[in-house]
Amino acid sequence: MSHHLEKSRNSCALHGALQLFEAIDAVVPVIHSTSGCGVQHYLGVTRLSGGNDTFGSPPVSSSNITQKHVVFGGGSRLREQLKNTVKVVQGDLYAIVTGCSTEMVGDDIPAMAREGRDQDWPVIFANTPGFSGDVHQGYHLAVKALIEQLPDIVKTQEVIPAGLVNIWGIIPNQDPFWRGNLQELGRLLEGVGLIPNLLLGRDQSIASWKQVPGAVLNLVISPWGKLPAQLLEERYTIPSITLDGLPVGTSASILLRRLTEQLELDPIRTEKFITREESLLNYQLARLADTYYRAGFQREFALVGESAQVIGIGEFLVKSFGMLPGTLVITDNPPESIREEVAGRLATILPGYDTVVIFSEDQSEITDVVRAGDPGLILGSSLEQEVAVELGVPFLALSFPLFDRIVLERAYAGYRGAATLLEDMGSAILSCSNYINEAS
Amino acid sequence: MSIKQGKHIAIYGKGGIGKSTTTSNISAALADAGYRVIQIGCDPKSDSTTILRGGNDLPTVLDTLREQSKVRLEDISAVGFGGVLCIEAGGPVPGVGCAGRGINAAVELLQELHVFDEFKPDFVLYDVLGDVVCGGFAVPIRDGLADRAFVVSSSDFMSIFAANNLFKAVNKYAPSGGARLGGIIANSILAAYAPALIDDFAGKTGTHVIGYVPRSLVVAQSELYGKTVIEAAPQSEQAQVYRNLAKYIDENDDSVIPKPLNSPELKKWAREWGDRIFEVETGVVHEMASI
Repeated sequence: MSHHLEKSRNSCALHGALQLFEAIDAVVPVIHSTSGCGVQHYLGVTRLSGGNDTFGSPPVSSSNITQKHVVFGGGSRLREQLKNTVKVVQGDLYAIVTGCSTEMVGDDIPAMAREGRDQDWPVIFANTPGFSGDVHQGYHLAVKALIEQLPDIVKTQEVIPAGLVNIWGIIPNQDPFWRGNLQELGRLLEGVGLIPNLLLGRDQSIASWKQVPGAVLNLVISPWGKLPAQLLEERYTIPSITLDGLPVGTSASILLRRLTEQLELDPIRTEKFITREESLLNYQLARLADTYYRAGFQREFALVGESAQVIGIGEFLVKSFGMLPGTLVITDNPPESIREEVAGRLATILPGYDTVVIFSEDQSEITDVVRAGDPGLILGSSLEQEVAVELGVPFLALSFPLFDRIVLERAYAGYRGAATLLEDMGSAILSCSNYINEAS
Repeated sequence: MSIKQGKHIAIYGKGGIGKSTTTSNISAALADAGYRVIQIGCDPKSDSTTILRGGNDLPTVLDTLREQSKVRLEDISAVGFGGVLCIEAGGPVPGVGCAGRGINAAVELLQELHVFDEFKPDFVLYDVLGDVVCGGFAVPIRDGLADRAFVVSSSDFMSIFAANNLFKAVNKYAPSGGARLGGIIANSILAAYAPALIDDFAGKTGTHVIGYVPRSLVVAQSELYGKTVIEAAPQSEQAQVYRNLAKYIDENDDSVIPKPLNSPELKKWAREWGDRIFEVETGVVHEMASI
């Protein structure tokens, strides 16, 4: 039975695709839809993800169709918009993304992209009506468009560095820490002699995407990275390592050892790197020990976020930091088959503890479940602050939407991310008024 | 919204079944009887009112809306036979855009132009594309626009199928203020079994046939001259058939919420009629049947 959904944190497919294209240097998205779609992307997604949205307003090209384009078809409006965009915005690639109305009408988008290519404009398209799915589906559709259409546009032979690894499954802005997380994952790969293909973020351009087919491996960080990996395996027989969640803390060591074994890397180098990183993390944990016990860090927590975050951060807090998993809420609405995998994965990190695990994107339900668990600490999106205040417990915002923190290079992935997480979480616990009252 | 002027009637039917011809002749007959009539073609083909206007061109509402930011009633209407105000909603070329939304946009514009307040019609006839394929084509029977819908149907199964689809739409919208069903106009009646078949369908779906229009050469001939039968052959029997339909629509306000057949019921009903027609054609005589 249907029920009403309060404050969903999953925007639509069009926005997911835009988030991906906007995270690649010199890729110019062209929205073929009504004007609200682009504005909503800015207001509902970009602006709510760690405060690093574009200055002023969203500089996105959009066909801004009106009723006459719905009635008579919007193909010619798109043609005009594409032509004007190419004229005024210099880019390496123009990516047409579509909204609900133009897809309902059935505008022939592939033909428009083909027309552009016939004029030697580098144009790809992704059919991304909001009704086709949520932001995660949009990521899928945009990545698929790049993997399938880029080879038709870029004919030049790329020199692919040996040991290149593509990283999939981190959705820009939907993970507010995506930049930092990717950087840290890159650092881990470099630590064992691999070359990371981050694909998104600073200095990541079409040049990075051209190298995708030549990678030796796909590293899948979330359930949403499985489709790109599968496409690349089918097309180019590139194998994959699938993690389901962010590797946080010592989970990174497991990943590095898997990489070393699968890609036959130098195990001595790998162990040396792991030892150095783990020793630093242990050193940091040791310094934290006194506060940990004095302030009673070991407490039951509620964690609300996307599956990759809940698995990665949850695993680290439980296994490495001795925290007690009270409530885990997975908000990225994965399909049924993936839910089973996620639940199975969580079961391995929660043995013997009576944890409530739910899949929900409904704020009302999430709040009820968190409240019922009576946690001593809440980690979630900015939306969970309200229930944290209500319960008077420490709170750390770390998942989307994140509108009360600035995130520039911060990461919670890897060894460094683990230390950052402890800094942020520990500060939240210490600064919570309850603790201060008790201490004084 | 202003008080509705006149009786608003929507006429539906499968493409090519003769609904524009029927509607135009009813409009002409009503006009001939002294009424003020507006006929609005709600079909992207935009040929609903052709035979009321002697075949002359008429810019469609949507084409005009596309070209001009400000549209006046004179731009999108023409006065045809008997003073009938002819309007064509128009629509996109086949395979492009959304004709359903076009109907919506055209009707919205007519309301903005206060066409009904200014013209003060006694009758407004909407001639709508057949199958009610999407919400846009249900606009005339939704939102209290038309009071009654009639369906033009022959005895062909696909035509009955389209009629049944309209019944589904009426059934859906009528309880919340949409149009109710006035009845079936049986058209192109040629075969002997045709009236009985349509009567039977009407009975099964809780409605009735308001008139039988025989297939006639006069209609084809009049159309070739770009005229209605009422104009081209006013004394013909066929003209009288259309006058009777117009009289019925004028004098009767009866309407029902039809009970459409579901898919298996419709198929079963069709098969039974298939058997009956076969038996009639091949001369099968059943036991105890009177000849």
